[in-house]
Amino acid sequence: MVFNSYTFIAFFVIMLILHNLPFSWNVKKKNLLIASYIFYAAWNPPFILLLWLSTVVDYFVGRELYNQQNKHKRRLLLVVSLIGNLGMLCFFKYGGFLLENFTHIVNALGANYHPAKPNIILPAGISFYTFTTLCYTIDMYKRKSEPVKSMLDFSLFVTFFPHLVAGPIVRPPQLVPQFETPRKVTQKQLLQGLFLVTLGLFMKVVLADSMLSDSANKVFNSKDALSALDAWMGLLAFSGQIFFDFAGYSTCAIGVASCLGFVLPQNFLYPYAAIGFSDFWRRWHITLSSWLRDYLYIPLGGNRNGKFRTYINLMITMLLGGLWHGANWTFVVWGALHGFYLMAEKFIQDLRKTRTPLTLPIVKNEMPGADIVSNKTFSNFILAMITFFFINVTWVFFRSPDFTSAWRMLTSMFSNVKDGAVLLTTLSIIKVSVITILMVAFHWMMRNTRVLTVAENLPWWLLGITWSFLLLILIWSQESSSSFIYFQF
Amino acid sequence: MNTSPFVKAGILTLVLVIASIVSWELYVRAKGFDNSYDDGEPLWSNKRVLVYEPLNQSTVFIGSSRIKFDLDIDTWETITGVHAVQLACVGSSPLPVLHNLAEDKNFKGRLVIDVTEGLFFSTSGRNAETPEKNIKFYKDQTPAQWASFQINHVLESQFVFLDKDRLSLNEQLINLRIPNRPKVFQFPIFPPDFGRVKFNRQEYMTEKFDVDTSQQNQVRGIWDFFKKMNKDLPVSGAKLDSILTAVKTSCDKIKARGGQIVFVRTPSSGPYLMGEKKGFPREKYWDRLLAYTNCPGIHFEDYPPIAHFECPEFSHLKQADAIVFTKNFIRVLQEEKGWKFPKRDGGQSNLIIH
Repeated sequence: MVFNSYTFIAFFVIMLILHNLPFSWNVKKKNLLIASYIFYAAWNPPFILLLWLSTVVDYFVGRELYNQQNKHKRRLLLVVSLIGNLGMLCFFKYGGFLLENFTHIVNALGANYHPAKPNIILPAGISFYTFTTLCYTIDMYKRKSEPVKSMLDFSLFVTFFPHLVAGPIVRPPQLVPQFETPRKVTQKQLLQGLFLVTLGLFMKVVLADSMLSDSANKVFNSKDALSALDAWMGLLAFSGQIFFDFAGYSTCAIGVASCLGFVLPQNFLYPYAAIGFSDFWRRWHITLSSWLRDYLYIPLGGNRNGKFRTYINLMITMLLGGLWHGANWTFVVWGALHGFYLMAEKFIQDLRKTRTPLTLPIVKNEMPGADIVSNKTFSNFILAMITFFFINVTWVFFRSPDFTSAWRMLTSMFSNVKDGAVLLTTLSIIKVSVITILMVAFHWMMRNTRVLTVAENLPWWLLGITWSFLLLILIWSQESSSSFIYFQF
Repeated sequence: MNTSPFVKAGILTLVLVIASIVSWELYVRAKGFDNSYDDGEPLWSNKRVLVYEPLNQSTVFIGSSRIKFDLDIDTWETITGVHAVQLACVGSSPLPVLHNLAEDKNFKGRLVIDVTEGLFFSTSGRNAETPEKNIKFYKDQTPAQWASFQINHVLESQFVFLDKDRLSLNEQLINLRIPNRPKVFQFPIFPPDFGRVKFNRQEYMTEKFDVDTSQQNQVRGIWDFFKKMNKDLPVSGAKLDSILTAVKTSCDKIKARGGQIVFVRTPSSGPYLMGEKKGFPREKYWDRLLAYTNCPGIHFEDYPPIAHFECPEFSHLKQADAIVFTKNFIRVLQEEKGWKFPKRDGGQSNLIIH
């Protein structure tokens, strides 16, 4: 089920009641686990079998990886886990894509091969829970942390419904200890959680779905070259939509977990105020970028093998990061552009011989981003806007269904298309403009802080009025429960 | 001491939100709004599951907006004693739904197909969008979506302000009618008293609309807008043949399973009817459809009790006329087309109400 649905509201109320009844901690955890399976099964019940399979295999393989002393057996177990997890992901997510590309290649070589198009349904959130379980087995192989002691805790770590289908991607040390010892939600945690759920739903339902999605869809679905104004407005609409959609989900997830007394890691930190691209990746989908850093970039060698190899590692990481988002070459190009940006940034840094540590994000206990540029000067704002501009260009490839559409968008944006189609109503242009300006301004103002810190420092009446405003607009918008964009990844 | 502002802020939020919702609800009720349901994919799917009742327990209606306005479902169900399953889609061709029912081997019931020529005899993908979306949703509906719909039904039945088509934030913004740049397509804005939706998917004009010539003219203007926008000539030749063949194939499949089908041409009037007659001459479209598919049909002009209606905006019946139309339509079905209903005489003694 999706957070922005009546079903979830009913489900969540029941969960809150159950979780606050005087049951033992073990019973509460079992309740949470059953609820998480119901949450997942509410999409497509059969796919719960995949979740069970992944959980059971990785629990036992993880233990054995940690305890096994024989190097060869350990490697074999790791390969089993990687094949199991990535094989499942490849089949469901990339099966059709691989077959399509294979068909293109063999036909280009002269064969006459036309297989039936496979009808594979993508299980919701498979990319997210695969990465969650994968990091556990890799950690066990490296003996970075101890194996989870109980099957119940491990199952809950993988399946805990707030993060299950679209993250934040959690690591075992972040969540498992929270299951191992009894926790009681405080009044403050509950209210802060409800506030975050309201904020997250406002971002998703009001801003992404009600205000921006129509403009983005209209522009990106157009088969005609567009006027520059329409093309840019459509792109900015998508830029806002993808942020509010995904950050809205993450905010809801963190809020829901907080209401139950758990803490999930931050996933977004005002990314459109980023100064530079490494800063952007410290602020956008933080749990994925840190995952890619720890389980791909660093194992590839990171920046330890010279400049050239660093560039190559950056590019490989971003290409695979792009492909993680979807089985389409447009996502690969999106990743490649980000890889190129990071390489260029690194190159400039090297030229200036600065000692700024490289690129991909560093997750620390203190607030991420605190170690980067915090001075909100006008020149930094200009740099942030330049970054925002280049990030927007990458969204063209992220959103376009194919390269023809992407090229049409870029042409419309950067050349004066004669008689380009005019699609957007004045109201749409006003909505996109106002929301984009406010979004960038908020990101800039909030870039060195967090929403709960600001909320805590507001007078209670102002916080109450703000909270009421969010909730009333949310109710007034009456958007249907459309899916979150990142579910498809 | 707890210094967090969240406790007091939470209480204030609760008070403000409840007070605002109650005020808004009272305001819109005072303005004359009543409950209208979101006629989206979930409601359509909710009706689509009902098509499997035996032939003598339900009749399925497909088509465009006319049958949604013109069939008064309460009247139908009272007189016939069988359920009316309304699957017609506004501004759409019924053919995707016809084909969907034909492919569904479990559907063996009665089917009434409303024919609005401009939509029925059309190859435009636009006219198939809504029914195709509905069918896709019906096939893919998740348990969570089903449960959300059930909760939404309860809420929509209680709160008038949950009228998405008229009172949602976006609709209110659209109603500001901010002028657009030249060449920008703006979907016309229907007046507020046209097209309220009941839970059974029947649509109706409010009594205010029946007498408000300004709103009626507004809708007439919208029909004119659509007419001018549609540059396509009426289909003919091979395209028409392919439509007829597809319709016949689907009808044959349903009839082969024991199903019964009747086509109906519901009333229109004034310049709209004249335009339809000119664009889609009866002998070339309607008569040919019946002959080609070998199915019975009821054209409103052939039956005096249903031939006299004046549509307020030329295309749909007002609520009072829909009741009269429905009663007489049932009678024609019984007497002319041989349809039998469990309640054979229920209400029939009062037929032919003008």
